Amino acid sequence: MTSTFFGLETALRSLRANQEALDTTGHNIANASTPGYSRQQAVLTATLPLTLPAGGHDGVPLSLGSGVEVSSVQRIRDQFLDLQYRAQNTLHGYSSQMATSLGEAQTAMAEPSDDGLAARMQTFWNAWSDLSNDPTSTAARQALIDAGTDLAEGISTLDGRLQTVADQAADQYTSLMDADGPVKADADELAELNDAIADATQRGDAANDLMDRRDQLIDQLSGYAYVKVVPSTTRAGAVTVYFGDTSATPTALVDGDVRGAAAVVTWPPTLSADPQGELGALKDLSSTTSGPIADLRTQLNAIAKSLVDAVNDAYTAGGTVTGSFFSATAGSEAATIAVDPSVTVASLHTGTGAAGSNDIALAVSALRDQSGGADDLYAAFASHVGSYVQNAQRDETLSQSLTDSIDANRQSVSGVSLDEEMTNLIKFQRAYQASARMLTTLDSVLDQLINRTGVVGL
Amino acid sequence: MSIRVTTNALATNVLRDLESLQGKLSATQEKLSSGKRITKPSDDPYGTGLALGLRGELSATGQYASNVQDAIAWTNTTDTALSGMNDLLKRARDLVVRGATGTLDQSSRNAIAEEIDQIVAGVRQQANATYNGRYVLAGTAEQSVPYPPGSDAYGGDAQPVVRQIGPSTSVTINQNAGDLLGAGSTSNDGLALDTLEKISQHLRSGTAADIDTLGNADLANLDGVLDKLGIMRAQVGAVSNRLSLAQDRLQQAQTTATANLTSVEDADMTQVLIDYSTQSNAYQAALKAGANLIQPSLMDFLS
Repeated sequence: MTSTFFGLETALRSLRANQEALDTTGHNIANASTPGYSRQQAVLTATLPLTLPAGGHDGVPLSLGSGVEVSSVQRIRDQFLDLQYRAQNTLHGYSSQMATSLGEAQTAMAEPSDDGLAARMQTFWNAWSDLSNDPTSTAARQALIDAGTDLAEGISTLDGRLQTVADQAADQYTSLMDADGPVKADADELAELNDAIADATQRGDAANDLMDRRDQLIDQLSGYAYVKVVPSTTRAGAVTVYFGDTSATPTALVDGDVRGAAAVVTWPPTLSADPQGELGALKDLSSTTSGPIADLRTQLNAIAKSLVDAVNDAYTAGGTVTGSFFSATAGSEAATIAVDPSVTVASLHTGTGAAGSNDIALAVSALRDQSGGADDLYAAFASHVGSYVQNAQRDETLSQSLTDSIDANRQSVSGVSLDEEMTNLIKFQRAYQASARMLTTLDSVLDQLINRTGVVGL
Repeated sequence: MSIRVTTNALATNVLRDLESLQGKLSATQEKLSSGKRITKPSDDPYGTGLALGLRGELSATGQYASNVQDAIAWTNTTDTALSGMNDLLKRARDLVVRGATGTLDQSSRNAIAEEIDQIVAGVRQQANATYNGRYVLAGTAEQSVPYPPGSDAYGGDAQPVVRQIGPSTSVTINQNAGDLLGAGSTSNDGLALDTLEKISQHLRSGTAADIDTLGNADLANLDGVLDKLGIMRAQVGAVSNRLSLAQDRLQQAQTTATANLTSVEDADMTQVLIDYSTQSNAYQAALKAGANLIQPSLMDFLS
């Protein structure tokens, strides 16, 4: 036999459960546009049935349903998609930084144009040719020295701009990895969230919104460098986060096994030689020995060296005349190239013979046709810069579209669909209304029993 | 399982597509407004290398053309000077033939000698011809006067004056006055000055032997000088021909290089305009679709 009021309890449980489900729907709708939010679901479960050992009329045991309860509020999220997203986001962080910085290097070059280094080289050769036509002309001599100065400045300015790109990358790296920088702030917040989530988990609570925030922080870190997330084995709910350390035995940035922000965050973090992500790109860009900028500067240096050597060799007629047209420090020709201070309108020599002889001027101006000379090297250099930028931009577009598509998948799982929430709203509202009607019905049943039964003739 | 499309995902997709279309439109617009297919090396790395090479070729061709111009002006000056000398020497030959006639009296011979002296001065003046302040018949010593007043010594040198008129192509454009005029009567070199000065001396002395020399050795020497001058003028003419051929060739090369550069660097306007209108249509369609897609939701149909 069940209690008289059993039905009332069942209706009450239903009212409560549906109200909680309505609340969850409201939370979802409220957070429909919150970045990083995963939709939540009130998991409705039928409560344990009331078993009556001999409840049936034939003495058969009877299980009587006792209604519904919200067993948990679940976060709908696919951890596997998170892994994919972070791996792709790390690649995107790298290629995006590369494309930006190399784009700056390309802009600095300003080719093909009428004011680039190639045009200055042409002006320089033309000036020698003009001088060969009129070796004693002061105007032609001055024009040549100006063209030489202009060319030397063009080379050293381009080298300086490449250096600036590398320097800016180094600065950006330092500010990212600063103790007041974004990585440290994320790590500190991660440690705090770990504690809060572990505490909630211990209480049996799910802490869904805190987990969303934690996942969002890890997403952010994945753009900066390689990340790896491992759930703590000793503290349920907490995770250990590895950052920029691709080695087999990495050091954790945030240790999930320990409590307390100060002890948990290892700062500065141990980074691998290639931390990947934006930091990896910045490291490559600022490197003085390898990486694209160092490579381009080496090439530019080779161009400057070839120019200095070839012009000086022709200018001294293979060593038979003293003097040099260009001066540069060996090893850093691109940065130091300049017209030799000894070259003046008066001292400039154009030939090995009389004042009007032009064999040297002819020899220098013929260098423009030299195969593998400075012009050829520079054209190859410009092509090379173009390829670098084109590849970086292609990588960026590709990683962007992959990141977007994984994020779309993630949104498809975790995102809030307003249509769905509206449907749920109606569903739970109706269930709530029906439960209320159930309560009214039971009330009128009991009213019949208590107030009207046994009252005869009154 | 069908993919669950959420309201946000829809909005994000529309935004992303609009951004991507806008990016393409902006790139096309850049091509349209600059008229260039390659505005930066990454547009076409290989094409950039090619374009720089062609720009170099174009610049070099322009320079060679200007070298040729200069060389033509130089040879023209040379030719004028040599042709002036030719006229003078021809006149001298006529005078010598007349002076060698035994019937002429001494005063007439003296008059002829006067004219010969004037011819000597004229020849020297032609030898000192200048182009743009430079002595064209002085070799590379273009700042020294070939025959300064009062001196019969050649002031220039024998070095060639060379102009570059193409890749690895150069041409010697000068003639030396010294080869024709020589060093005067003291040197006995049989060249123009020596011959003319001796003619003048022989005319003035008027002895039978001198008049005989006039008609034989002197006349022969003068013919030799005229032959030499003819060879020089032929050489100058050949150089001049070569230069005008080079000028034509360079003009052609310039046209070709410009055409090549255009095909590498410039945008195909028809193609770009078609691209532009296609992309612009796609963009407008995306805008329209986005506006219609995002608007309705279940809420519009619930009371």
